[in-house]
Amino acid sequence: MTRGWRPGMSGRPMADRALNVWGLLVIAFLFTPIAVIVVYSFNSGRLLASWEGFGFDAYAAALSNADIVSAVSVSVRAAAGAALIAVVLGTLCGYALARHPGGRIGRLVTALLALVLVTPEIVSGVALLPWFVSLGVDQELSLFNSGWVRLVVAHSLFATAVVTFLVRARMQGMDSSLEEAAADLYTPPLRRFRLITLPILMPSVLAGALMAFTLSLDNTIISAFVQVSGSTPWPVYVFSAVRAGLRPELAAMSAVMLLLTLAALAVVALVLRRAGGSKDAVNALSGVR
Amino acid sequence: MTSAHRGPRTAWRAAPAGLLATPALAWIALFFVAPVGLVFWYSLGRKPGLYQTHANDVLTLDRYREALGDTFMTSFAGTLRIGLAGTALCLAIGLPFAYWLAVKVRPHRRFVVLALVLVPFWTNFLIRTIGWQVVLSPEGFASRALQSLGVTDAPFSMLFTRGAVLLGVVYNYLPMMILPLYVALDRIDGSLREASKDLGANRWRTMAQVTLPLARPGIAAGLLLVFIPLMGDYVTAAVLGGARGTMVGQLVASQFQQAQNWALGSAMAVVLILVIAVTILATALAGAVCTWLLTRRRRSELAGLAEGSPA
Amino acid sequence: MTHNETPRLLAPAARVAGLPRRTFLAGLAAAAGAPLLAACGGSSGSGGSGSAAAELRAYSWSAYDDPKVLAEFAAKYGPKVLVDSYSSNEEMIAKLAAAKGTSGYDIVIPTGVFVPQMAANGLLEKLDHSKLPNLANLDTAFRNQEWDKGNTYTVTKYWGTTGFVYDTKVITRDLTTWDDFFDAAAREASGKTSLVDDPGEICAMLCFARGWHQSTTDKAQLDQIETFLVDTLAPHIAAFDSSPGSSAIPQGTHVLMHCWNGDARRGILASSEQDRWKWVLPGPKTNLWMDNWAIVKGSKNADAAHELINYVLDPAVAVKQVDFVGYGSGVTGSEEEARKLKLGQIDMIFPSAEQLATMYTGVINEGQERRMAIVNRMKAKAGA
Repeated sequence: MTRGWRPGMSGRPMADRALNVWGLLVIAFLFTPIAVIVVYSFNSGRLLASWEGFGFDAYAAALSNADIVSAVSVSVRAAAGAALIAVVLGTLCGYALARHPGGRIGRLVTALLALVLVTPEIVSGVALLPWFVSLGVDQELSLFNSGWVRLVVAHSLFATAVVTFLVRARMQGMDSSLEEAAADLYTPPLRRFRLITLPILMPSVLAGALMAFTLSLDNTIISAFVQVSGSTPWPVYVFSAVRAGLRPELAAMSAVMLLLTLAALAVVALVLRRAGGSKDAVNALSGVR
Repeated sequence: MTSAHRGPRTAWRAAPAGLLATPALAWIALFFVAPVGLVFWYSLGRKPGLYQTHANDVLTLDRYREALGDTFMTSFAGTLRIGLAGTALCLAIGLPFAYWLAVKVRPHRRFVVLALVLVPFWTNFLIRTIGWQVVLSPEGFASRALQSLGVTDAPFSMLFTRGAVLLGVVYNYLPMMILPLYVALDRIDGSLREASKDLGANRWRTMAQVTLPLARPGIAAGLLLVFIPLMGDYVTAAVLGGARGTMVGQLVASQFQQAQNWALGSAMAVVLILVIAVTILATALAGAVCTWLLTRRRRSELAGLAEGSPA
Repeated sequence: MTHNETPRLLAPAARVAGLPRRTFLAGLAAAAGAPLLAACGGSSGSGGSGSAAAELRAYSWSAYDDPKVLAEFAAKYGPKVLVDSYSSNEEMIAKLAAAKGTSGYDIVIPTGVFVPQMAANGLLEKLDHSKLPNLANLDTAFRNQEWDKGNTYTVTKYWGTTGFVYDTKVITRDLTTWDDFFDAAAREASGKTSLVDDPGEICAMLCFARGWHQSTTDKAQLDQIETFLVDTLAPHIAAFDSSPGSSAIPQGTHVLMHCWNGDARRGILASSEQDRWKWVLPGPKTNLWMDNWAIVKGSKNADAAHELINYVLDPAVAVKQVDFVGYGSGVTGSEEEARKLKLGQIDMIFPSAEQLATMYTGVINEGQERRMAIVNRMKAKAGA
């Protein structure tokens, strides 16, 4: 695609128009399959891709299918757990790295977290399965035989790294004089953290939590390795359904989830807009400071 | 203000700050370092029998020799090609888009556009990919539409082709490219671009010498965020590409999920990490060399400009 | 390795009446002995009176049970049956072995030849015959198999065979043998051919065509298989799909599909143009297999698992299952019942006597690892 810019005459509007077209094309590209899925969720046939007629059967079937409901609920619970762990560990760690960058622990943590970020999922998957099994069976820590625990732990690793780096970036942008002033006024540390540090960190924490949640909800490869039957998460369920023939129920459940996501997004946007203007909303979405 | 008179309190404050990193460190050590270390350990062992997965009674590098055999290399070459082409395409599509979003879209609309980029990301990626499957399948509506328009008379299938593999990959990783690019471009002060234009640089020159160099960290982050997960992914490509989308990750997975050869699978996993690391380092090195060359040229240009007659 | 194993399991019961009586008696003896043992163990052994389990987790081949049957079972006995699917025995065994008893599954459906090693490696729980009164309904020809004497670990669920389906709109000639399959894959169906994702089945194709034993361990033959699959066949393969019947056949995704008979039947029945698809039991030889109910070692719901196995051995239930999956079940009289009900494409479920004569079972041997490596190399080549 050429940008269509010609020197001389109306170069600027031409280029701008080309960019606008490009932007809209990309958005259309991103939404094509989503639109298809939403449309086909009203397929009353047996197979998703073979359109037979319009109907709401798939929605009824999806919401009454115990496997589907349980898979979605497993995924949501695992994502919530992973996001919680990532936010707690990542916020503390990111804060520490920004305020105390030179330390030996700091350097070690930074290196390890970077390593977590560049390890392909397949490697984490094959590493975690034997590890969980040896913890759960050989060390008799039966906690690790629970599918939920395994998913939460496995998903929390990458997410912790993400939150850490987001929080660190945010803290590095803030000078520490406010905190120091509070310290000079003998504000107790916890109160100081709650009143000053946390509000500063909030957008990055929120962005991190959002990202951790999303990544966990979508994780297929690691989940397929560590999952225990009965805690099959949604992506793994969908993956096995791909092999067994996709039914419209899957599209229906996805459409429902999409709707819920949009609602959640609207709420987040509203809260952020009230708290700090639209800039913060954009920031929370993109994870910028 | 010297910090000397506040010494004790600073120390009191700094110590817990350092300690705050330890929970994360412990977590990573327990659930990342230890299991990956275990994989490394397995890779030095062997598979003793049909129904045993691994044994480390004899330490050997033979698994690495096996891992680097024909199967792995063939598969890896294909994966690398898809990885590089997919990453390059994401950059080519994502860069103009991110520029548009960061510079041309009015600020109060940015949230909406950004949300539009991310909303598909929140639908399960397999479902999204399956949406494409519906579009591309011979009974799907792309084929029907083309037939009714008279472009083709037989049902056609784009599924299970290399094009389909790339489509799936680009589609799924595009947001990972757009986000860091947007963040980087958004941070660039608009006045720098204005200044460049005021100094007589045309749009392309401004783009090449001001905007892109400043956006470099974002470009690097985007490339990494797409390339690394893509190299280990074997699901996305397979859904649209079938056998054409066989990735090296599939081979590693099959050693664990079918062959029960943890020793060989571990060796392959270690090789995969190493090769990805080397690719990244090589790219970073190439980038650094390019930057250095460009800067040198620009310096000499500037020097020439200073000596020569003013424009 | 025995080359000429007769497919004893498929000889009509009447023809080998003398042979199975002994097994039947042995079975009776075992059944009589079992309650005694159960009593000694202090277990209550409350056959069909409903168990406390809320759900049963099965790890099975895809679409291998009629959902209605499972729903009726849940309504009658309580436990909901949740099913995950695998596409090869290797995958299922690897999963159970890696999890060391923490997989969470209660039931798996291994193919017969894989049972001895699974049992020897402690992956399976012994069956309690006192909880399986309906075992008497299983045709004697399907009991007491070579690989599980006395049905210690397994009960036959289905038997079936391997062949292929093709699109007669694209391939207009008649395909009848494995060589025809290879030929069509290289011509009309190039890039539109799928194979089941099962190393044993993929490697067996050339063996059937050349008259080698399907589980050959001969190095020269394995080398030839490798060369053929990697260099000749791989470039034409579009997908490795163990159940094309679920979507590829009804959606017309491929033109030529290697598949199992029941899956092929299900796909053809689901297609809007049934005449378009042709099922072939390829000559000169092809596979014969039996898949079996088994209870996973460490299952916490073994009682409920027994209940389910016992439930599907009921002739009325068995016929529903046969109609849904399209494989023969070993329950006595299920074929007659199916013929009476005039199930669709019934000849795909129950091959003729001549066709049966061309089928034989494979074995698990030291060629196994090599076969997996060959198929991995083939996949790498197909993706390159």
